[in-house]
Amino acid sequence: MTLSLGIFYAFAALIVGGALVVVLARDVFRSAIALAGVLVLVAGLFGLLNADFLAAAQLLVYVGGVLVLMLFVIMLLLSPQNQLRHQTNKQAISAALMSGVTATFLIVQFYAFLRSDAPAMEGQPSTAALGRLLMGEFLVPFEVVSLVLLAALVGAVYLSREERP
Amino acid sequence: MFELAIPLRAFFDSLRTQLVGLGFTPLEAWASSKLIQTSVTVACVLSVPLILVYGERKISAFMQARIGPMETGPWGILQTLADGLKLFFKEDVIPNGADRLMHTLSVIIAVAPVFVCFAPIPFGKDLAVVPLDTGILFVFAASGLSTIGIVCAGWASANKFSILGGIRAAAQMVSYEIPRVLSVVPVIMLASTLNLSTIADAQAGGILHWFIAVPIIGQLAFIIFLISSVAETNRLPFDLPEAESELVSGFHTEFSGMKFALFFLAEYAYVFLSAALATTLFLGGGHGWSAGGWIPSWFWFLFKSCGIVLLFFWFRWTYPRLRVDRLMSFCWEFLLPLSLINIVLTAVWIVFKGMP
Amino acid sequence: MTLLHVLVLSAVLFAIGLFGLLSRRNVLGMIMSLELLFNAAAINFAAFDHFLYPDRTLGQGFVLFVIAIAAAEAVIGLALVLKLYRHE
Repeated sequence: MTLSLGIFYAFAALIVGGALVVVLARDVFRSAIALAGVLVLVAGLFGLLNADFLAAAQLLVYVGGVLVLMLFVIMLLLSPQNQLRHQTNKQAISAALMSGVTATFLIVQFYAFLRSDAPAMEGQPSTAALGRLLMGEFLVPFEVVSLVLLAALVGAVYLSREERP
Repeated sequence: MFELAIPLRAFFDSLRTQLVGLGFTPLEAWASSKLIQTSVTVACVLSVPLILVYGERKISAFMQARIGPMETGPWGILQTLADGLKLFFKEDVIPNGADRLMHTLSVIIAVAPVFVCFAPIPFGKDLAVVPLDTGILFVFAASGLSTIGIVCAGWASANKFSILGGIRAAAQMVSYEIPRVLSVVPVIMLASTLNLSTIADAQAGGILHWFIAVPIIGQLAFIIFLISSVAETNRLPFDLPEAESELVSGFHTEFSGMKFALFFLAEYAYVFLSAALATTLFLGGGHGWSAGGWIPSWFWFLFKSCGIVLLFFWFRWTYPRLRVDRLMSFCWEFLLPLSLINIVLTAVWIVFKGMP
Repeated sequence: MTLLHVLVLSAVLFAIGLFGLLSRRNVLGMIMSLELLFNAAAINFAAFDHFLYPDRTLGQGFVLFVIAIAAAEAVIGLALVLKLYRHE
C-alpha cells in the first residue's frame, strides 16, 4: 500500500462518511457543516489528481461562497430548536433502493469498460494550460458562463428583495 | 551572508541521507523532513500572536500617552504569558441551549486554516516550507475557510446577539474577500505566476523594482489590499462584528477560557499573515532596498512585515468604527470597481511596456 | 490509485447524493444533496482528465464550468427558498 493509495483511501472514507452525514442528519445545520467537510475533502482529492488550480477554486468558490450563503439562509430561516423531527420522508426506502441500483450499475459499467492499469502521475503545473484553454478553445463557453452568473446575480437580488408596502 | 537557507538545506539533506541509510525509503525520509519543517512553522505561528499582543498593548499605550503593561516582568514582557495562563485555567462554559459539538467544532474550523496558510509564504530566500505553484490562490482559499467557523460560532452560542454578530462578520468577510483577491490580480499579471517565491524574486534589485513602485497600479493595488485585509481580519475600523461596545463582543460572547484564547490567537495570526502577504506581493519580501547588501533576507522580511503590522495597529487606534451599511457600501461601491479598473490599467501597462 | 478507484468513489458519492435528493424533507437538504451530485460529476471529469489525457487540461476546464454553474444554481435556489419561506 503506497503512500498515495493510503491517502486516497483515507480521503474516500472521509468523503463517504461526510456525505452520509449530509443526507442522514436530523439537524440541517449539522448537515451543512458536513457538506463543508465533504467539499474541502473533494478539493483535496482534486489536489491528488494534480488539478491544483481546481482545488483552490473549489475552496474559494464552493466552500467560501456557496456554503456560506447556505449557512446564512439556514440561520435566517430556521431557529435552533425545531430540528428534532425526522428529516427523511416516506420515500426513503425506495430512494435507497434506487440509488443502490444506480451505484451498482455505474460500478459494473466502469469495471467492464476500463483497464485497471495505473499510469504514472505527472507533476506538471496545469494553471497555465488551463488559462490557455479558457482563453482559446473555451472562450465562448467562458463568456456564456459569465452571462449565466450575471443572470443568477440579478435574479437573486430581485427575488430576495423585500416587499414594498 | 547570514542567509538561513544554506545551513537549513544542508541540515535537512544530511537528515534525509541519514534516514535513508537507516533503512527508510526516500519518500519517507522526505516526508519526515517536511514534518519537522511543518512543526517548526506551526510552533512559530503559535508564538507570533504572543509577541503581537504585547506589541499592540505597548504601542497603543504609547499612542494614547500612557505606558501600558509594566508590572509582569521587566517592561511587562510576561503580560501575554500571564493572560494566556489565566485563560487556560478558566472554566469552559457552554450555554444551555447550544449545540455542544458545534460549540467546540466552530473554534477548530475558525482557527485551523491559518496554520495551513503559512505554508507557501517565502520567509526569505528559499525559505518557503512548501513552494506551491498556485501559492497565492491557495492562501486566499484557505483563509476563506475560517468564515464558516465564525458563522458556526455565532450559531452555536444560541444567543440572538451572537447569531447576528456571526452573520455580520461572515457577510463582511465574504464581501471584502473580493477586492482583496482582485487587487492582487495586477501583481499576478505583472509577475506572470501564482508562485509566491517567484513573485518575491521578481522584485529583486532595489526599491524601484518592488511592485508597489509600479506607477499608479502598484500603489492603488497596495492600498486596496491593505484596506481589504484590515476588513477581512475584523479589525478596527471594520470592527463591528466583535465590537465591544455594540454587540457585547459579538460572535465570541459565549466562549470562555481556551476557546476565546484561540479566537484571539487566530485573529493576530491572520494579521501577521496579511502583513506577510503584503510584504511578499508588494514590498519585495526578502529583498532589500538596494541590490546586493549584507543584511540577510529573513531579516528584511521580518522588518517589512512588522512595519505593516505596525500600520494595522496604527489604524486601530486612529480611526473610528464604520457602521455596517457604510462598511458594505464602501466595499461594493468603491473598492470593487476600483480594483476592476486597476486590472484594466495593468493590462494597458503590460501592453504598453511590451512584457511577455 | 487507479482510475477505477476514483470512479467508484464518484459513483458512490453520486448514489448518496441521489438518495439525499429523493428522501430529504427539507428544501435546503435537497439543495445540499444536489451539491453532492455536482461534486461527484466534477470528480469524474477531473479523474478522466488526469488518467487518460494528462497532456490536455480539457476535463479541468469542464470542472471549472461545473463549479461556476453549480454556484449560480445554488444562489437562485436559495433566493427562491427565501422567497418561499417569507410568504408562509
